[in-house]
Amino acid sequence: MNGNVVERKKQSIFSLKNVTIVILLLHFSIFMIYPIIMAFVGSFHHWNPLSNVFEFTGIENYIQILNSKLFWTSMSNTLIFSLVVIFFRVSIGLVIALALYSKLSRFKTTFRTIFYMPTITPLVAVSFVWVWLYNPQFGLINEVFNLDINWLRDSRTALPAVMVMTTWKDFGYATIIYLGGLMSLPKDAFEAAEIDGANSWTAFKYLTWPLLTPITMLVAVTSLITYLQSFIQILVMTEGGPGTSTYTISYLIYEDAFINYNFGSASAMSVVLFVCISGLTLISFKLTQKKAGV
Amino acid sequence: MKQVKVILFNLILLAFSILTVVPFVWMLVSSFKPNSEIVKIGGSFLPDTFTIQNYINVQERFDFLRMFGNSLFVAVVVTGTVIYTSAIVGFALAKYTFKGREFIFGMILGTMMIPWAVTIIPRYDMIVNFGWLDSYIALILPSIFSGFGIFLLRQNIMTIPDDVIEAARMDGATEWYIFHRVILPMSRNAISSIAIFQFLWVWEDFLWPYLIINTQSKQLIAVGLKLFSGQYGTDYGGLFAATAISIIPVIIVYVTFQKRFIAGISGAAVKG
Repeated sequence: MNGNVVERKKQSIFSLKNVTIVILLLHFSIFMIYPIIMAFVGSFHHWNPLSNVFEFTGIENYIQILNSKLFWTSMSNTLIFSLVVIFFRVSIGLVIALALYSKLSRFKTTFRTIFYMPTITPLVAVSFVWVWLYNPQFGLINEVFNLDINWLRDSRTALPAVMVMTTWKDFGYATIIYLGGLMSLPKDAFEAAEIDGANSWTAFKYLTWPLLTPITMLVAVTSLITYLQSFIQILVMTEGGPGTSTYTISYLIYEDAFINYNFGSASAMSVVLFVCISGLTLISFKLTQKKAGV
Repeated sequence: MKQVKVILFNLILLAFSILTVVPFVWMLVSSFKPNSEIVKIGGSFLPDTFTIQNYINVQERFDFLRMFGNSLFVAVVVTGTVIYTSAIVGFALAKYTFKGREFIFGMILGTMMIPWAVTIIPRYDMIVNFGWLDSYIALILPSIFSGFGIFLLRQNIMTIPDDVIEAARMDGATEWYIFHRVILPMSRNAISSIAIFQFLWVWEDFLWPYLIINTQSKQLIAVGLKLFSGQYGTDYGGLFAATAISIIPVIIVYVTFQKRFIAGISGAAVKG
């Protein structure tokens, strides 16, 4: 596109372009490419840094994890967690964005600032806040609703409780992205619809929602990539428990790698996770393209 | 009738926003309660006895301000460096043609999809082999380039007209001069949204500093919080105070810059 503008003069080897690209590639090779290759190679090895073991074992790590019940539990927890949180993040985010965009709302900036607040706060810290909100002894939730539930220690409520916290933290991001999308929609189409007597639900169903499809996909795909890697809230709030009811795949990888120092099998799981993430992302992009008729 | 509708509509929004801020308010309020009052069943929302003892305890037992300072230092260094590297790489990718340019850009985008779990194990192994455990270089060096930052700045610099650069060139400006005096000032908006994001990411990063830093006095605040809860798990007042210290500054920064912040991300989304 934008071409050779700056390049006319005779260039020394130490031109801005060369220096920049060489340093970038160097950094990239050391801290990105090499670790990726190493993770892949390591997944075929028995690898323990404490006992200094690095032995080739073929696909043994993969067989071991695919036969592990905990692995499958973690995978299904991760998938359920991701889908539920994405659904609520997208729907709550969209509803609030529509409300803030509507002519009826006042104090738009203040509301927007408040809804986005949880998103910009550190996840470790807010996870702690929610641990105490859920506390059976003095937590605000039981107190307000006059309940006696040990949210994070009951295998039926633990995962949903973490989902609620994550949705609370992240819906504001969807709201902001949707607001940006709504503001860029073509105004005349809506005026035409109004003249034709379309009510607001019809206008939403046939205009707003289809026009927002790229935004919805953007939010859904970035959320998918994030939530398939959920870890911090699990570490702080439940440590995978009670039992194995809140194990996510990233928490399992963390535990395998940095508690048990099984770098080999942890790498194998991370490769599986990578394949899942890129597979699902590709499928989502393909679906969008089809929908957009490209 | 219209009036009633407007009031009702905004009351619903208000209810939602109260739900959103209540965890923060509750944490802040509780941090000024003595422990006995926090664990009291059926206690009131506001403190009966107002005390700052929790904050004093946290500081005396754990030197939280030190960790706060450590986080601030690492976050400022990383953010400053990332701004510069993102801008210069973004400039090189947007305004120069060379072999492999599209490939490099594609690769940068591709790595944004790599889960942290893939790279963290070999990176950790590498840092151990370099003998960089317990040093800030291990926290800073791997993060000095950001795929997101490069992407955002490249998109932004593409919109700067070539004529501007050409004019500077006519006046005999060098490439470095053009970058520092023309491109950087013209990228102010994109730079400020990266600044805020990158700062937040470093501030909330947990696992990497947790693995790398062993000395407590060198530790960052996100990890400090977890360590504190491990050692003083029943000192709820102290935990509330510690959490407040790690959240409130971020909220202040956010509220101060929120306009630019929100314009930055929604703009990037719509353009992307």
